[in-house]
Amino acid sequence: MVSNGVVPSGLSRRTLLQLMGAVGAGTAAAGVLSACSPGTTSTTKALASVSPSTASGSATLWFRDDDLLKVFKTLLPGFSKKYPNVKLTLVGVDVDTKLPPALVSGTGVPDGSFFTDNNILGQAEHLYDVSQLMSKYTADTVQYKLDVNSYQGKLVGIPWDTDPGLLYYREDVLSGAKVDPGSLTSYDALLNAAREIKGRNPNARPIPLEQDPNLAMQWLMMLVNQQQGTGMIDANGKLTIDTDAFRKALTWIKAVADEGLGARSKFASSAQIAQADGDVISLAPWAIWFNFLIQSTFKKSVGHWRVAELPAWTPGGARSGVMGGSSFVIPAKAAHPELAWLFYEYAVYSAEGYKGVFGPNSVYPNGINTALPSVKSALDPANPLFKPLAGLGSQSVWDVGTKASLAIPAGYRIPSWFNQAATYLGANLQKLMDGRMSVDDVVKKSASAIQTNLVDRSH
Amino acid sequence: MPVRKRSRLPREWWVGYLLIAPFFLLFAAFTAYPMIYALELSFSDWHGAGVLHWIGWSNYTYLLTNADFWASLGNSAVMWLLIVPVQTIGAIAVASALTRSRLRFKKTLRVVVILPYVTPLAAMAQAFILIFDNNFGVVNTVLGWLSGPSVGWLTTTTWAKPTIALFVLWKTSGFALIIMLSAVQGIPTDVYEASAIDGAGAIRTFLSVTVPLVRRTIGFFIVVSTLGISQMFLEPYVLTRGGPYNSSTTSGLYLYNHISASDLGTGAANSFLLVVLVFLLSLFAVRVLRSKED
Repeated sequence: MVSNGVVPSGLSRRTLLQLMGAVGAGTAAAGVLSACSPGTTSTTKALASVSPSTASGSATLWFRDDDLLKVFKTLLPGFSKKYPNVKLTLVGVDVDTKLPPALVSGTGVPDGSFFTDNNILGQAEHLYDVSQLMSKYTADTVQYKLDVNSYQGKLVGIPWDTDPGLLYYREDVLSGAKVDPGSLTSYDALLNAAREIKGRNPNARPIPLEQDPNLAMQWLMMLVNQQQGTGMIDANGKLTIDTDAFRKALTWIKAVADEGLGARSKFASSAQIAQADGDVISLAPWAIWFNFLIQSTFKKSVGHWRVAELPAWTPGGARSGVMGGSSFVIPAKAAHPELAWLFYEYAVYSAEGYKGVFGPNSVYPNGINTALPSVKSALDPANPLFKPLAGLGSQSVWDVGTKASLAIPAGYRIPSWFNQAATYLGANLQKLMDGRMSVDDVVKKSASAIQTNLVDRSH
Repeated sequence: MPVRKRSRLPREWWVGYLLIAPFFLLFAAFTAYPMIYALELSFSDWHGAGVLHWIGWSNYTYLLTNADFWASLGNSAVMWLLIVPVQTIGAIAVASALTRSRLRFKKTLRVVVILPYVTPLAAMAQAFILIFDNNFGVVNTVLGWLSGPSVGWLTTTTWAKPTIALFVLWKTSGFALIIMLSAVQGIPTDVYEASAIDGAGAIRTFLSVTVPLVRRTIGFFIVVSTLGISQMFLEPYVLTRGGPYNSSTTSGLYLYNHISASDLGTGAANSFLLVVLVFLLSLFAVRVLRSKED
């Protein structure tokens, strides 16, 4: 019998509830949530090699849930033939959204994953150091890809593709304006071409000015990397925003905006597709993945587009820059990291693997032509992996792309806070394009905000 | 020597506690522990791996002296002003009309109002983006027919917040209506009859009878709306990603930006600052409500 809420034994209801709460919290702390506890994950640890003859077991690898997953699945029969005792499951997930929480919590961690380069160093401490395994391949790998995967002197990612910046142009629009495409070897020449085109068609705004702060910042970084061979930070982690390269790129963008030579829209939005498929946009210094727009979304202008290396900032300077890319990572908490490595080694560094991915396959009969391998020996002009594009007048993108991939300056480093920088540099760049900020303002304010809010607070 | 009787909990008590134990276990695991853990995180510099560094009040002082933090609160405050008064007044008025008038198609009207609330936000947002697109949107096309300007609804600092607020109003007014309908329908009809005998018109009845009698519901709705807007994340994320120039970065989106960048300590501190702010605002709303009743 209970009276006045007190248990006869002397054990009060409050005490009992407190006990139960403590037990519950203790259970949670010790069990389900223990994986989240700070300090349970140490810094990167090295992944050693495994003998191919003894490799056995099963592993799960994550990919973006798109055609690329299907392409990589075509490699499985060849891989199984080489490693008959290894069973791989390739799963399509929203990697950028799901991998970071999986790595942080340690729950549901895959054995390996596809990951965009911008995101890798932010998760470096959760990843295996693959330096030792990569040592025999580093000389045959495009240097900038090694740089973006390097963290405190260790390699935490296995480079997959390069996304070189290229110059796309409408051959019909240029010839109508009597502009020789061969003359577009400097950014000043590109501005002059845009002026000529606009002179003939007042509605034309030949150069796309990206409206998304993240992509616009990435575009700016391509122009900067092309000039100075670094990213937003140098090898010592020092900000490079207040430099001539940034000022020169920003001044050029401002000229495009101020003279009405730029079309403001988001990449691949319905607005931009209409502008590029019409006669508004006709000069696009952009990544090789611009190919997919030409192939799958343009209607009227298909066959009129052509591609060349980027103009140079200085005579004899680099004709390309970093414009994206992805790699493979192996989580430190992976159950079978060695099996993931075997697959990545096969996919990236064996001729069978990279030909299977980039070359003609059941998913892409003409091969993937929106990226290029990061393996130098695969970037052979004499042995194209994919076929010329009809949308580019059957021009060989391979010829242009391989040159550009090898021309991307090394030394590109992506800080762990890169994506957050769009809040400052990306937003200020938008203001510059909208005529609301000067070049000096963008440089000073972005550098100051990034230094205070990101660099000083990063560990 | 008296024998000490061993006291025991009656059997039915143990059964009772056993039955409610799952709640306490779940509460401890998924509410209490994460809260305590987040509080600890808010005083630390931790990015999801490695050793946790205790840094005291640094995250709080960083946020409280950071213009972006205050700008995000300012954006949320503007959103609140654009949404809550309009939604509250509109919901009471519509609920009152649906309850008392002899409108035809009442049921159809209820479905129309509630439909956006039950439709997935992502689908609604995509439709909304198409309608308000700068270049091809229906709204600008109609404005063009009327020789009006082409407005950057989601791409200019002037219009981004009002356009997002319009989306939120469209999406969530069904929820407001459900709450107000239940309150208005709970008002005894004899009160309205007495009001009619006294000669009160529709507006007078609305202001002097309906509104005072649903004051508690209004207070509840304002508190819930304030909570919702302080946490507003998906709408600006899907429509503008916080732009242009971070002008639509709400406090919820600002918090998300820290967490998505694995800056967990700052994110945790931000969430606790929001908790304090919402608590104070709710307390204020309750006090105002109570003083009116007194």
